[in-house]
Amino acid sequence: ARRQSRFSSGVFTDRGSTPRGELVGTSCSRLSFGTWAGAHRIVSISLGKIYNSRVQRGGIKLHKNLLVSLVLRSARQVYLSDPCPGLYLAGHPGAPAPPQQPEESAAGPPAGWGEPPPPAGRAAWPEPEPQPERPAVPEVPRAGDSEPAATVTAAGDTLQGGEAEAPEAAWRRVEGPRETAVGGAGGPAEVSGVFPEGPEAARGPCGCPPGDEDNLSAAPRVDGCRAPRPAAAEPPASPPVCARKRGAGWVGGGPADCPAPGSTPLKKPRRNSEEQPGGAAAAAEEEQEEEMETGNVANLISIFGSSFSGLLRKSPGGGREEAEGEESGPEAAEPGQICCDKPVLRDINPWSTAIVAF
Amino acid sequence: MQKIMGSHLTLDHFRLASFSLPSSLLHWSKPPPSRTWTVVMTYQQDYLSPCLYPLSALSDIISTVEFNHTGELLATGDKGGRVVIFQREQESKNQVHRRGEYNVYSTFQSHEPEFDYLKSLEIEEKINKIRWLPQQNAAYFLLSTNDKTVKLWKVSERDKRPEGYNLKDEEGRLRDPATITTLRVPVLRPMDLMVEATPRRVFANAHTYHINSISVNSDYETYMSADDLRINLWNFEITNQSFNIVDIKPANMEELTEVITAAEFHPHHCNTFVYSSSKGTIRLCDMRASALCDRHTKFFEEPEDPSNRSFFSEIISSISDVKFSHSGRCIMTRDYLTVKVWDLNMENRPVETYQVHDYLRSKLCSLYENDCIFDKFECVWNGSDSVIMTGSYNNFFRMFDRNTKRDVTLEASRENSKPRAILKPRKVCVGGKRRKDEISVDSLDFSKKILHTAWHPSENIIAVAATNNLYIFQDKVN
Repeated sequence: ARRQSRFSSGVFTDRGSTPRGELVGTSCSRLSFGTWAGAHRIVSISLGKIYNSRVQRGGIKLHKNLLVSLVLRSARQVYLSDPCPGLYLAGHPGAPAPPQQPEESAAGPPAGWGEPPPPAGRAAWPEPEPQPERPAVPEVPRAGDSEPAATVTAAGDTLQGGEAEAPEAAWRRVEGPRETAVGGAGGPAEVSGVFPEGPEAARGPCGCPPGDEDNLSAAPRVDGCRAPRPAAAEPPASPPVCARKRGAGWVGGGPADCPAPGSTPLKKPRRNSEEQPGGAAAAAEEEQEEEMETGNVANLISIFGSSFSGLLRKSPGGGREEAEGEESGPEAAEPGQICCDKPVLRDINPWSTAIVAF
Repeated sequence: MQKIMGSHLTLDHFRLASFSLPSSLLHWSKPPPSRTWTVVMTYQQDYLSPCLYPLSALSDIISTVEFNHTGELLATGDKGGRVVIFQREQESKNQVHRRGEYNVYSTFQSHEPEFDYLKSLEIEEKINKIRWLPQQNAAYFLLSTNDKTVKLWKVSERDKRPEGYNLKDEEGRLRDPATITTLRVPVLRPMDLMVEATPRRVFANAHTYHINSISVNSDYETYMSADDLRINLWNFEITNQSFNIVDIKPANMEELTEVITAAEFHPHHCNTFVYSSSKGTIRLCDMRASALCDRHTKFFEEPEDPSNRSFFSEIISSISDVKFSHSGRCIMTRDYLTVKVWDLNMENRPVETYQVHDYLRSKLCSLYENDCIFDKFECVWNGSDSVIMTGSYNNFFRMFDRNTKRDVTLEASRENSKPRAILKPRKVCVGGKRRKDEISVDSLDFSKKILHTAWHPSENIIAVAATNNLYIFQDKVN
């Protein structure tokens, strides 16, 4: 035998899971399917799992990440659909009617889970670019390209238009345009129909050619893996603006402007942003506390909401770094390492740091 | 291919064993050479005798267990990349009782951890699957695989060695030819039995994703390896190329909706194989239809029960194992909560569904949190396809008799496998009053899971892997 005996029987340790393998306590069991609190918790747990998957030996497990992403999408639909005070843009003209969502998401067959709600009757953001058909969502990262610039621009416009909104609302709103830009499949995938056919080449500058054979880390997008997109596969609202992928679903914006089209991102973008939100979440958690709690999500909501407008006006370069910082993945230098340019981080104010971490 | 028909085992045998008062004796194996061991005892009939192998050689968690085609050999793979092969002791007139005892036959390091520098990925050395080839000569051959590489190992015995070389002396040092005055013919002299394992083929660099299954074809010339998105067909003699026969990778990875979770060749028809998916579906493919079997010949799917919908419906419907019956007429699938038997001629629903641990259905959120919901349980048929077995938590494993529709829960643990112990049926108390011997759901130890089990091809001998322990149970019917 070439190995030392390692007693592992009876010891069940896994990052992001309970030490002993016993059933977790009551909070989880009390949560019923369809409750917002339940969805909230599940979303944060799922993000943690995605983050942990990046640091596990053996590389990203495609199967497990796919399953986690499906759970995330289900939870997100409930998360969105449950009207929570302040979480929706009640006063916003473009606010979609939240109750519509539960009906649709609850629409019976399993297929309903994967298909985007019909575009009809959805809110339209008062933004220059095509509107998302749903309110901003705590979007988990998409494997597709994000257009932070477009997102931010839209978000900025939106915010400036309604800064009186509740922090959560602002945070949500930020998500919206970004979502739009991404045009994710599934979930808010209805937006894909709204966008012009984005060129596949839009992904080029990202350095993430579609259909990369060796894309081991191509975990499916959280939101959209299941349903084939109704329209373009790559519907970036403004593809040239910033082709670099962004993952963190929670963070709405990025810099007000993005690197010029075709510019090389500072770090090689992840092929799939699946890990990002989890990574970001975990990083945020690490910054705040060790435990994976649902409270941090609400914290980030208030953080973003109160400071986002200020953030937008800060140095765009710093903003870009935030986006940069969110990216990670198997292509990163070290698995599990958040790709943050530390010197840049130091120059960003604490809010930005939190966003970056997330 | 030889049809394997085992003796008919009914659940009564297990039940009776628990109520009789046999002097069942614990059956210990010979330890590996580096270990001192204590007891070797005999066993009697009419009960289940646990054979405990807490071998130090199995220092890591056992990740696969497989009998060979005769049941003479039992191979285990562990997370440390090692393979340990047990051999059944031959029946002898003097020691009738010792028949059935499995001793360590060979131990070797099959896979080592690797690092893919291009992707900055570490490749685990954990053995995912072992599959035996049918024996065709004195040596034994098996396939073992980790996440990326399949290896063909030859396990052979050597009990003679040549002596009397001219050009080298007994220690192997070269002799100066000038000093040689006479010539002799080397002769073979007996030596202590040595079992050596040599890697004969290495099938590498064919899988981008993690290999989850390998299956030897009934033609004994080819085998397939399946990862999350692709299945490749290999010829045993050719290591530098393989045929891709299934590819479900979408052009745009963002549209990925399901992955391959298990695959197996039909036991008799070398053109037929099945693969299961994370969506709970099984596809049967015929390689004669086309080179790339992306279009299935048959598609097995059970409509979902909408009343059971939850956040985790997709996860628990993901199939973790698929096995053809020995007859080739049925397939068995394992998802998180159930085992299903499908008739190849009926695609719209399984013919039998067995609840393994339905009491976990209300605990899915907690099981998601502690990652247990991602556990991949395997399932096995007995030799006659009349009983199916699969594992559960708390070191429990379950057997279902397809004919009598009875089932039993047994436990594989050191505490309950003392000498003279018999396996008592266990019961999980779902709610209400807990009886004396029952265990409540909340007391289950979810770190003790039985994922891997194996059933002897013709006899009622089962191998159960519980973390780093291997148990061999035997039921001898008078």
